[in-house]
Amino acid sequence: MAVKGIKSNDRHILNLANIVGDARSIIYHKEDLIAYDCDGFTLHKHLPKAVVFPKNTEEVAALVKYCAEHQLPFLARGAGTGLSGGAIPLNGEVIISLMRMKKLLSVDFENRRAVVQPGFVNLKLTNSISDKGYYYAPDPSSQYCCTIGGNVAENAGGAHCLKYGVTTNHILGLEVVLPNGDIVEIGANGIPDEPGYDLLGLLTGSEGTLGIVTKITVRILKNPEAKKTVLAYFDNVEDGSQAVSDIISAGIVPAALEMMDKTAIEGVEAAAFPVGHPKDIEAVLLIEVDGIADGLDEQINQILGVCRKRNVREVRAAKDEAERGRWWANRKTGFGAMGAISPDYLVQDGVIPRSRLPEVLSRINKISEESGLRIANIFHAGDGNLHPLVLFDARIPGQSEKALEAGSACLQVCADVGGTITGEHGVGIEKREEMRFVFTDEEIIAQTDIRSVFNPDNLLNAGKLFPMPGRCVEIKKEIKERSS
Amino acid sequence: MITAELFAELNSILPSERIIEEKNNHPLGNSGLVKVIPKTEEEIAAILQFANEHGKKVFVEGSGTKRGFGGLIESADILLSLSNYTGIVEHVVGDMTLTVKAGTKFKELQEYLAQYNQKISLDPFCPTSATMGGIVASNDSGPKRLGYGSSRDVVIGLRIVYPDGKVIRSGGRVVKNVAGYDMNKLFIGSMGTLGVISEVTVKLRPLPKYESLILLSFPEGQMDEIRRFATKLLDSTMEPVTLELLSPTLSEKLMGRNCNTVAIGLEDVETSVRYQEKFIQSIQPDHTELKILAGQDAQAFWNQFYSLTPISPTDSSTSTQTSLKIGVINMDVTTVIKESHLLSDTHNLKVEAHGGLGHGLCQINLKGAKEDIVSAIQQIRESVTKLGGYTVVKHLPFALRQEIDTWGQKPTHFFLLDGIKSKVDPKRVLNPKRFVGGI
Repeated sequence: MAVKGIKSNDRHILNLANIVGDARSIIYHKEDLIAYDCDGFTLHKHLPKAVVFPKNTEEVAALVKYCAEHQLPFLARGAGTGLSGGAIPLNGEVIISLMRMKKLLSVDFENRRAVVQPGFVNLKLTNSISDKGYYYAPDPSSQYCCTIGGNVAENAGGAHCLKYGVTTNHILGLEVVLPNGDIVEIGANGIPDEPGYDLLGLLTGSEGTLGIVTKITVRILKNPEAKKTVLAYFDNVEDGSQAVSDIISAGIVPAALEMMDKTAIEGVEAAAFPVGHPKDIEAVLLIEVDGIADGLDEQINQILGVCRKRNVREVRAAKDEAERGRWWANRKTGFGAMGAISPDYLVQDGVIPRSRLPEVLSRINKISEESGLRIANIFHAGDGNLHPLVLFDARIPGQSEKALEAGSACLQVCADVGGTITGEHGVGIEKREEMRFVFTDEEIIAQTDIRSVFNPDNLLNAGKLFPMPGRCVEIKKEIKERSS
Repeated sequence: MITAELFAELNSILPSERIIEEKNNHPLGNSGLVKVIPKTEEEIAAILQFANEHGKKVFVEGSGTKRGFGGLIESADILLSLSNYTGIVEHVVGDMTLTVKAGTKFKELQEYLAQYNQKISLDPFCPTSATMGGIVASNDSGPKRLGYGSSRDVVIGLRIVYPDGKVIRSGGRVVKNVAGYDMNKLFIGSMGTLGVISEVTVKLRPLPKYESLILLSFPEGQMDEIRRFATKLLDSTMEPVTLELLSPTLSEKLMGRNCNTVAIGLEDVETSVRYQEKFIQSIQPDHTELKILAGQDAQAFWNQFYSLTPISPTDSSTSTQTSLKIGVINMDVTTVIKESHLLSDTHNLKVEAHGGLGHGLCQINLKGAKEDIVSAIQQIRESVTKLGGYTVVKHLPFALRQEIDTWGQKPTHFFLLDGIKSKVDPKRVLNPKRFVGGI
């Protein structure tokens, strides 16, 4: 039976509409599809065939089964905040949007777990349980709008993962629709170490290429008794980096240890949440410790001591929660803030061994000089996760390509010093060629072999995560054309 | 008997003094006709490549503490021992990362790291003998998992020799990494069925500046009271690193009190630990006894605790020994400990049990007659299944593993597990029939 209000001659559109049951649950007109031609990675765009909005697991399974039977490529999408292009329909996919599966299904405080649907927004979970003194730890900067389903796909991190770990450390169970439409439940009761290979660990961070997650059991944590946050200003980056190493070496495990360089400071101060960082400073550190209140003063004193030893210009603790909130808003909106000082920017996401920070920063500086593009650095310094932001103007011919090259060169530096190409944003489309910086062909095949167990026809989110032989140059050319 | 041909082939890879003919099968099974002791990764790779090409089966071991953990074949062609593949590959003090060869013993590593005020934040059983590779491959963890997580939270990189001899790296040497699939996870807890872990890279933690252990003993029959206490403590802002419920027999052995005891570990700066001790004293339930062990006394308690897990088929009196790992929803640990305690009367067994009220994992050690052990495992497995949990037999003589499935029922998604095994080890060379569903 046809769904009322659908005007299409495409039998697939009619059949997909049938599965979701009403005309408001499917988008298929070209002008409406444009909103879904990319995600947070905007240098590459492609129109999907349709976007469907299932309301429950059974609808997701039926949609997937339909796509599999008719060999239609498909992919899952949450809020579309991903920064590496994981939700871009490269092959004209049917996009299965999980935004209507956004319920908090249950909370079990005694056993410290919550069950959510994939479209449930990250920050909403913390907000829903904070009155009882609990929170959900992974806190990506986009947490006010990104979904937990998307967090699972990307194994999202955040500022506080230095102490509390990334998404994978907080996932206890998943319900998954496999690429053939089968529904499986892994870790059904949220009990750790279920016998068998650790599929929870494998699925988390698989960037939507192994299955579509339709229900998630997460661990929730009790709020720490107290938090203390310190800002430290340095006149040179070297001192700031050394202070980071010294804090960790002193046996302190900060909840967060963030750093911004001069260009980044210029950006955040020109944007919506300025906090009055001095303009002439080379580096600012934002350090947070949490835990039992009685133990924090000792740690703060140690941190202050370390900073002074490293020639800090000024260091101070937040005087109240409001000030702490302002500092974090300033930091967490850092990427977007680059819009205030540059028409376009490209975010990178390399990770390095902490101790190599000064060397890596000077090499990134050199890349900036050679490319003629400014590079701002915002990073989770405590775990060595750098976010070089390459500033450029896409209207100037050649700049987009230069920015991509500079970004890639930054990742090469990270790989050279024993690091990796992505710490929390994922590979997606953006860094699939850079996978070769860290993995051999054999190691990449070992991974695609695993994909073929789950996704043998590669209909689910094809073309992501892994390099495509001989296509590097072609893609960069295409990106250049699209962004110029 | 090992054939001259097999010996000659292996001898082209290894000198003869590292090829040892195994005359008798071990009562725990997982033996080999011949034991080979490689000293390099190249040797490991060459042995596997040979086995893969010639249809030989290979068992893998570190120091053999998990020999009774799964496995339905008494002997493979080759027993690959990593006992001589040892040592630290790299320790970057400032980055707090450590890379070691798989055969390195856990306790040696902790002693080495202590000089730098660092540690691997795992607390496996038998740390004196257990190797890093074995701990990771079996995903062994102890009570401190509540505070610090397990191998899946600590391991950041692996080198794995695949069954065909190629070497694959997963993860890396940085503490945060989402490049490609998180392949580390596939090998952690895979019981050596996918590849031979040759190197392990872990992130380290600072040694705690101070530690203490609160032992809170409850009168008999107060499981509800224990549950209320644990809920109250977990709902507070205290940060215990263990909240382990000990059965009366275990409590008696470790501290001389025959009653259920909750072992609450505290590790932080001293002011914080003292503050938490005071808080716990302030919520101490009536009729309980509370004892605090500080510093080395706490460590001594844990050292004894970790050494209690059985690793031989029988104890000194020739009773059969077994050890179960049980996973349930956190607070159901009280039910598991209660029911396991009853087995001593109903099955005439010696029972020592403990379980983490904050993470839901229990271990039950049983000693007694074979038939009683088999029946007890079946009974406990049945009641744990009703709770929605699982029972894995961590240690049992080979003969009894034919009667009792180590892993319990296959999960409904078993086809995925089998699919992964078939892809990585199509000839089923490595640790065949050691894992879930006969993988």
